[in-house]
Amino acid sequence: MEIDGVAPPVAEKPLFEPLKAHEMSDGKVQFRKVSVPPHRYTPLKKAWMEIYTPVYEQMKIDIRMNLKARKVELKTRVDTPDISNLQKCADFVHAFMMGFDVIDAVALLRMDELYVDSFEIKDVKTLKGEHKSRAIGRLSGKGGKTKFSIENATKTRIVLADEKIHILGSFRNIKIARDALCSLILGAPPGKVNSKLRQVTARSAELF
Amino acid sequence: MGRPSEAAGMEALHQLKSTEPPQWLAPSASLSESARAASQHLFASLRPHVRKSPFDELLVDNFDAEQIWQQIDLLTQPLVRSIRRRVKHWEKNPAEIENLLPEVADGGKKVAQGKKMEEIDDDDDDDGGDMDMDDDDDDDDEEMDVDNDGEQDGGKDEGDESEEEEEEKSGGIEDKFLKIKELQEHLEDEEARHYGLDAKNKKSKKKSGSKKLEDEDDDSEEGEEDKEEDDDEDEEVDLFAGGDDEDEEDEMGNARYEDFFGKKKGGSEPKPRFKDELGEDSSSGEEEKEEELSSDDDDDEEEDDDENVNKKPKVLSTHEKEVQKIKSEIEKMEKANLDPKTWTMQGEVTAANRPKNSALEVDLDFEHNVRPVPVITEEVTQSLEEIIKKRIIEGQFDDIKRAPGLPSKAPRELKPVDENKSNKGLAEVYEEEFVQQTDPAAAPLSFSDEQKKEIIEDMSIQSNVPALAMEEIAPVAVSDAAMLAPEEVFSGKGNVKAEVELTQTERKRRRAKKKRKFKAVETKKMASKKAREDELRKQKEGTLLVVQVTHLCCQINVMLNQKL
Repeated sequence: MEIDGVAPPVAEKPLFEPLKAHEMSDGKVQFRKVSVPPHRYTPLKKAWMEIYTPVYEQMKIDIRMNLKARKVELKTRVDTPDISNLQKCADFVHAFMMGFDVIDAVALLRMDELYVDSFEIKDVKTLKGEHKSRAIGRLSGKGGKTKFSIENATKTRIVLADEKIHILGSFRNIKIARDALCSLILGAPPGKVNSKLRQVTARSAELF
Repeated sequence: MGRPSEAAGMEALHQLKSTEPPQWLAPSASLSESARAASQHLFASLRPHVRKSPFDELLVDNFDAEQIWQQIDLLTQPLVRSIRRRVKHWEKNPAEIENLLPEVADGGKKVAQGKKMEEIDDDDDDDGGDMDMDDDDDDDDEEMDVDNDGEQDGGKDEGDESEEEEEEKSGGIEDKFLKIKELQEHLEDEEARHYGLDAKNKKSKKKSGSKKLEDEDDDSEEGEEDKEEDDDEDEEVDLFAGGDDEDEEDEMGNARYEDFFGKKKGGSEPKPRFKDELGEDSSSGEEEKEEELSSDDDDDEEEDDDENVNKKPKVLSTHEKEVQKIKSEIEKMEKANLDPKTWTMQGEVTAANRPKNSALEVDLDFEHNVRPVPVITEEVTQSLEEIIKKRIIEGQFDDIKRAPGLPSKAPRELKPVDENKSNKGLAEVYEEEFVQQTDPAAAPLSFSDEQKKEIIEDMSIQSNVPALAMEEIAPVAVSDAAMLAPEEVFSGKGNVKAEVELTQTERKRRRAKKKRKFKAVETKKMASKKAREDELRKQKEGTLLVVQVTHLCCQINVMLNQKL
């Protein structure tokens, strides 16, 4: 077809695929290094495959254990889909190092809105000696009863590491769990905390 | 102290007169003696004229000059006052002097002398403090005394005249000072004077005047009609030998009530006394005469004024009466207002603030907060019973019904919170939640068979730990209900009896049983033992045989070897 005055056909708009993580960082590889505390060394060894598989397979992040430095090193690959994967994996590994189970920590990989909140008992109340021990005992309860009840009621996971307390869950649930734990530290009896938890969960169940 | 004769006194006087002034500069005994004698003489001569002096004669012997002077002063002060007044009066009315003089010349001295005292007393008492003695020397006093004597003589005559005039003035007035008759006579005298009548007429009037003077004095307190009094006052002022109005005004300052009215009799007598009472007053007046005579004519004026005031209440016009009534009422009301209120008009009154039993007398009105007790009559009871019967028949009793409970929200379903560790991972939990939110159909049921199974499969290990041990560890929330039940612990069966409860046969049975058991066990043991021993023996024997056999063999060998 001859058409005078017709502009030459415009080139089609190029379609670019989204940048890969690798390309985004200008081809550079990104690292994360998570140190392994000694008491998590053996559990890491036992649960290594469970950690490795989702990280390598699904997140497409290279993971290795630096035995000498006692660190878990994470590295992006060329085909890492998202730049946030690396951070997610790092968080996942870090959560495991805090003391969470792999099953629970894996939720970090799968959901964006989960966070880990840490605080110490001394942040809430200065306790010394026996009082601290008793507070810790109150937190966990007999056989971990109180802790489990809080976990089940608020859909969080709690790690009591002597002085430190780590809570894994969504933002709102973390808050509820933290309130319950703080009240326990301050001296509330477990029964009271339980009743409050129930009320809170019932209320939150009504909302959704 | 002998009083020196008059002659000696006169001699002394003359002597003093004759001494020359320079001789006075130096003190000499003779001069002082003569001076004392002269002053004594003069004192004595003056004494009769003064009514109120405390000294009858001048005490001179061994007395100080100051003391002598004081005595003289006491005597002469009033005298001088009266004389001064007289002189002033005469200054104003020089005509009187001329009138006096001929009287003196006629020898009316007797009468004059008789009235000297009265006159002088009248004058002296009324004088005010204006006539002050300024002389400090005895000599001066003597001279003054001499002069006074001269003056007094003239004054006395004047006084006599005026006294007579007073007496002649209006009579018939209740007042001491004023009487209508005397007034009339006085008026006539005045007219006679002005028209130049003879002194004889005056003389004759003097006597009559003297009598009436007493009456005047007596009735000074009583009042009379205004007009007469006014006229009298005016004329009395002119004639009364008291002096001018000016003097009167000056002198009034020292006047006292007693001068006018005498000593109070426990109440004034404002009521008008009529002529009937004149007699009484005149008799009593004689006593007061001497007192009253000393009072001046000016006092009469004031008494007249008082009379006027006392007279008014007697006759009032109707208007004045009404005004008085209203006034008294007003006074009453004002007084009531000023006084503290009666207790009934006050606000809150306690028993202490009111007189005893006063509340009983007053009609009190207060609210009764209590319903009055109902009077029960037959009709009332009948009506009540009718109501009761009716209600029973109807069956309508006023029972209290339970109030309906308040509408409240349905109680929240409280999920029992699982106290065990959840088997699901956190991811699965959130996954389920998400699925439930998005697609309820695809979500598994909350309480499925699997979960039931799971629950059933969960079995907790219960150890039969004594409760004390458990309590030591966790005293709070542990109960030994989870522990094994007694029947689980006990392994026996049947009716268990304690040893005490057993009967004889049972005991025997038990013993037999035990024995049997024991025996059985023993036989077993023995059998096993035997078996073992037999074996051992056999072994032993075997070994022995073997040993013997081997020994024999050795011996044989040895023997063979030897033989060989």
